[in-house]
Amino acid sequence: MAAPLELYCWRGDWGLPSIDTECLTVLAYSKFAGAPLKIHKITNPWKSPTGTLPALKTREEGSISKPSNIIIHLRKQKYNADYDLSAKEGADTLAFVSLLEEKLLPALIYTQWVDSKNYVDVTRSWYAENISFPLNFFLPNRMQNQQLEKLRLVRGDPMLEPGEQLEKELYRDALECMTLLSQRLGSHKFFFGDFPSSLDAYVFGHLAPLLKIKLPNGKLQQHLNSLDNLRNFCSNILLLYFPSTGQDNSSHKTPTHADGSDFDSEPHLRRNQILSALFAFGAMLGYAILTGIVSIERVQPQRALQARKRADDEEAD
Amino acid sequence: MGTVHARSLDPLPMHGPELGVHADDIDTPEIEQDSKQEVLENKDVVVQRVHIDGLGRTKEDLLTYEIADVFQAKNLIDVMKKSHEARQKLLRLGIFRKVEVVIDTSQGVDALPNGLDVTFEVTELRRMTGSYNTMVGNNEGSMVLGLKLPNLLGRAEKLTFQFSYGTKETSYGLSFFKPQPGHFERNVSVNLYKVTGQFPWSSLRETDRGISTELTFPLWKTNQTLKWEGVWRELGCLARTASFAVREESGHSLKSSLSHAMVIDTRNSSILPRKGGLLKIHQELAGYTGGDASFLKEDFELQLNRTLFWDSVLSASLWGGLLLPIGDKPTCIADRFYLGGPTSIRGFSMYSMGPQSEGDYLGGEAYWAGGLHVYTPLPFRPGRGGFGDLFRTHFFLNAGNLCNLNYGEGPQAHLKKLAECIRWSYGVGIVLRLGNIARLELNYCIPMGVQSGDRICDGVQFGAGIRFL
Amino acid sequence: MSLAAEAFVSQMAAAEPWPENATLYQPLKEDQILLSDCASSLAVQTYLRMCGLPVQVACRANAEYMSPSGKVPFVHVGNQVVSELGPIVQFTKAKGHSLSDGLDDVQRAEMKAYMELVNNMLLTAELYIQWCDDATASEISRPRYSSPYSWPLNHILAYQKQWEVRRKMNAIGWGGKTLEQVCRIRSAFATSSAQFFFQPTELDALVFGHLFTILTTRLTSTELAERIKSYSNLLSFCRRIEQSYFEDKILSVSLSLFIPSLIPSL
Repeated sequence: MAAPLELYCWRGDWGLPSIDTECLTVLAYSKFAGAPLKIHKITNPWKSPTGTLPALKTREEGSISKPSNIIIHLRKQKYNADYDLSAKEGADTLAFVSLLEEKLLPALIYTQWVDSKNYVDVTRSWYAENISFPLNFFLPNRMQNQQLEKLRLVRGDPMLEPGEQLEKELYRDALECMTLLSQRLGSHKFFFGDFPSSLDAYVFGHLAPLLKIKLPNGKLQQHLNSLDNLRNFCSNILLLYFPSTGQDNSSHKTPTHADGSDFDSEPHLRRNQILSALFAFGAMLGYAILTGIVSIERVQPQRALQARKRADDEEAD
Repeated sequence: MGTVHARSLDPLPMHGPELGVHADDIDTPEIEQDSKQEVLENKDVVVQRVHIDGLGRTKEDLLTYEIADVFQAKNLIDVMKKSHEARQKLLRLGIFRKVEVVIDTSQGVDALPNGLDVTFEVTELRRMTGSYNTMVGNNEGSMVLGLKLPNLLGRAEKLTFQFSYGTKETSYGLSFFKPQPGHFERNVSVNLYKVTGQFPWSSLRETDRGISTELTFPLWKTNQTLKWEGVWRELGCLARTASFAVREESGHSLKSSLSHAMVIDTRNSSILPRKGGLLKIHQELAGYTGGDASFLKEDFELQLNRTLFWDSVLSASLWGGLLLPIGDKPTCIADRFYLGGPTSIRGFSMYSMGPQSEGDYLGGEAYWAGGLHVYTPLPFRPGRGGFGDLFRTHFFLNAGNLCNLNYGEGPQAHLKKLAECIRWSYGVGIVLRLGNIARLELNYCIPMGVQSGDRICDGVQFGAGIRFL
Repeated sequence: MSLAAEAFVSQMAAAEPWPENATLYQPLKEDQILLSDCASSLAVQTYLRMCGLPVQVACRANAEYMSPSGKVPFVHVGNQVVSELGPIVQFTKAKGHSLSDGLDDVQRAEMKAYMELVNNMLLTAELYIQWCDDATASEISRPRYSSPYSWPLNHILAYQKQWEVRRKMNAIGWGGKTLEQVCRIRSAFATSSAQFFFQPTELDALVFGHLFTILTTRLTSTELAERIKSYSNLLSFCRRIEQSYFEDKILSVSLSLFIPSLIPSL
C-alpha cells in the first residue's frame, strides 16, 4: 500500500460523509482520483494537525489545510482526476470554481451561519451536540464570527450587516449561479463527460450540504430541488462514491415542527418569565432595604396612636 | 480645640442648600432684623484664623483664594455672609462633596477677645466615580460607561471619560479640564472624541473624530471662549435611496478651525428665565490652520425676558447665522445651518426646511429665526408650590428663513431673499422644566408661510431639548 | 425600501430610456487613480460603447466613497446609481440593451464563469501589485491614493486602505498563483471567445479594460506587459477592440507606474 495520507475532516450527518463544504470537496476529489486516504472523522478542530478542518497529513511535507492546496498535493502524488481534460476544460474548471466561490459560497455561509433561525435551530444545535464538552459552549459562536468575517471579506465590505437586503442580494446571486451550473451540466452525468473531475468535486461539495441539511429557512434548497439535473448529480455521486453513509443517518434527530415545539416549550417559557421577573423584583427590593432607601419600621398600633395624640397636643399649643 | 457651633440665624442656613436645588429659585434671603442681631451687628470682630479640615489630596494654595474674603469681615453678620459665600465658592470647584462651616471664638495663646476662628469642614469627592447606563431608543440600544476623576492632581483638574457602545454605533470622549487657581472662571480644557450621528432628514451619517482645546475666561461682564478644533469627518449615506446631492458629499475631510465665542448672560435661569437677557456671538474660521474645509462662520443668539403682570413672562429671541466659504470649494453639508423642528420653528418637522433635493434637506448658508413667547403659569394653578410650578403654558409666535448664498449677487440680494418667503407659525403649548438643563414641550402649532419642499408637523408636536427658540 | 417597492422602482427604471446625461464617476485621472480602478473604469466604458450607450466621464476625489458598494466606477443614470460591471450589465439588460442575447445557455454560463475568473485573478493581481509590494505601495499607490487630502488625513487613509487590502490578500491566500498561469488562461479563452462568441460580449469589455491598462501603463520593468505581448492573439484582440470602439477618442491612459522590480513571489 502507498504511504498512507491521512485526512482529518468533520463528521458527517444527514446522509452526507461530512457536513462541511471544504471537507466534502476534498473527500469527493480523493474518491474520484482513487487516492487511498486514511480518513479521520472528528468533531474537534483542535485535534487536527493544522487546527482547522479539512487537513491532510503527509509524511514528507507536513500538513496542508486549504482544499485547493490539498488537491494540488494529491495531483503531485499522481492522483489526478483532471488528467484527461483539455486546456479549455482546465480553464473552464478554474472559471466555474471562481463562480462558485464568488456567487454561491457567500449565500451558503449566510444561510447556514448568519440567518438567525437556521443558525440557532440547526447549525448551532448540531455543533453543540457533536462537539465535546467544554468546547461546545464557545466554539460554535467563534465559528459563526469567523464565517461572518469570511463573508465580509469575500464581499469586500467590512461594514456588512445581516439583513433582508443582503439576504436578497446573496440569494439572487446564488440562484443565478445554480441555474448557470445547471445549464452548463445539461444532461451529462458529470461536467466534462463520463468521468468526474475536480470541478465535479467542488460543485458537489457546495451543493450537497444544501440538498441534504434541512433548514427551516430553505429558499436556496427549494430552488436547488427544482433543478433536477443538479439534484440527480449530487445523489448520483453520493450513491456511487459514498454508499455507506446512507445508513449512518438515523442518529440525527430532525427538527420536525415549527409551531409544535414552540407550543411545547410555552409553559416552560411562561414559567421562566415569571421566575425571572420575581427574581429581579426580589433583588431590587433586597437592595433597596439593605441600602436604606426603603426602611421597614415596625410600629405597634398602640404606640402609633399615642405618638399621634402627642403630636396633636403639641400643635394645639 | 473645643468646637462650639455658632448658633445659626434662620435666614442664613449653615448647611446650605444641596446642589440639586435650583439656585435661581431661591431668592436671596432677606435678613430679618430683630433685636438679637442688632447687638451682634454692632460688635466688631476680627477673624483670626480660617482653617480647612478634611483635605486629602487637594492642594492648599488652590483654596486660599476662595477663603481670602472671610478675613475682611468686620462684624458677625459679615462673617456669616462671607463664610457662606466662601462655602459656595468651594462647592463650585467641584471637588468637595460637602462643606460645613463652623464659627468659633478664638482659643489659644494669641486669641483676641473679639477674635473668631472659622473652620470649613470639607469632605472630598472620591478619587474616581463610575457610572453605567443603558439607553434604548430609535431602533438602537447602547451601553454607556462613564468614568470621572475629579481633582486629579489636587488643583481641581477633572478628567472625564465616557464610552458608549451601541448596536449600531460606538462613540467615546475623553476630556481634561483645568481651572486657574483662584480664578475658577478662567479655565482650559482639552477634549478627544469620536462621535457618530445619524441624520434621517438628510439621509446622512456622520462620524467625527476630533481633538479640541478650549480656553475660557471672563472679560468685564462677558464670558469669552477661544477654541481650536481639529476634526476628521466621515460622511456617508444613510440609505440606498439617498439623493445624489447627499451622495456627492460622502467621503472624508479634515477640518481644522479656530473659533471664538462671547456670551453675556444676565438671566436668572437658563430654563424659563423671568428676567434678564442673553447675547451669544460665535465665529469660526476654518482652513488657515490646515485641513480641507475652508470657511468663515458667524452666528448669534439673542434673548430678552421681562416679567409682566400676574406672574407671566414675555420672552423674545432672535437667532441668525452666516456661512461664507473661502476659496472655490463649496461648503460641506455638515457645516451648514438647519432650521425647523420643535426646538426652533415649531410646526415644521425636524430640520426639514429650506434647500432640499429629492426629499433630503441640505441645509443653508444663511438663516435667521425669531420667536416671541408669553409664559404663564398653568390655568387655575394646580399643584401650586410643588410639582405644578415646573409647568408653564406658553403662547408663541415663531418665524424664520433659511437659504443658500449665490455669489455674484450683492448682499442686498441676499437680504432680500432672506426676507421673502418667510416661514412662520403660532400656537399654544405646555412647557415642563427638567432640572436646570432641559425642558419638554407639548405644543399645538399652526404653521404658515410654508414653501414647497418643507415638511410640516401641524397639530400636536412634542419637543425635548436644551436650546429652544 | 420594501421588496415590493424596490421591484416597482426597478420596473419604472426599466421603462425609461437611456438618458443623454448618464455619467460615469471615477477617481481623479491625473493624480489619484490607480491601476485597478483605471482598468475597471475602462472596462465599463468599453462595454457601454459596445452597447452604443452614451456616457460622460466625471472625475471626483471621493468617487470611491460616493459609490453605493464602495467600488469604482459607478454610473449615475436618471436617478439610479449602479456600480461595478456586473450590476451595470444587468441594469442595461433591464433597459433592453444586452450583448449576450445571442448566446445559448451553456455559452452564457461559461461567459459568466469566465467573468468571475477574470475578476478573481486579474483584479486581485492588480490589487496585489499595488498594495502588497512594499516598494510600489510606498512610492506610487499611497501617494496617489492620498493626494486629494491634507495632512494627517492622507497618511491615515492610505495606510487604512493598504491594511485592508493586505488583510484580504492574506485571507484568500493569494500570491500562490503565478502570472504565467493567468496569462495562459487569458490566451485560452481569448481564442475560444473568438470561436464561439460571434459578437463581442461584456466579457470582452472586461478583458480589454484590464489588458489595455496593463499594456499602456509605462513601467520600468516591462515584464508584465511583455508576457502579455507574447500571446499575439491577445494583442490583436486589444487592437481590434480599440479600433472598433475608440477610434474617435485617443485612449491615452496617462498613468505612470514605476515598478522597481516585478513581484518576486509571482
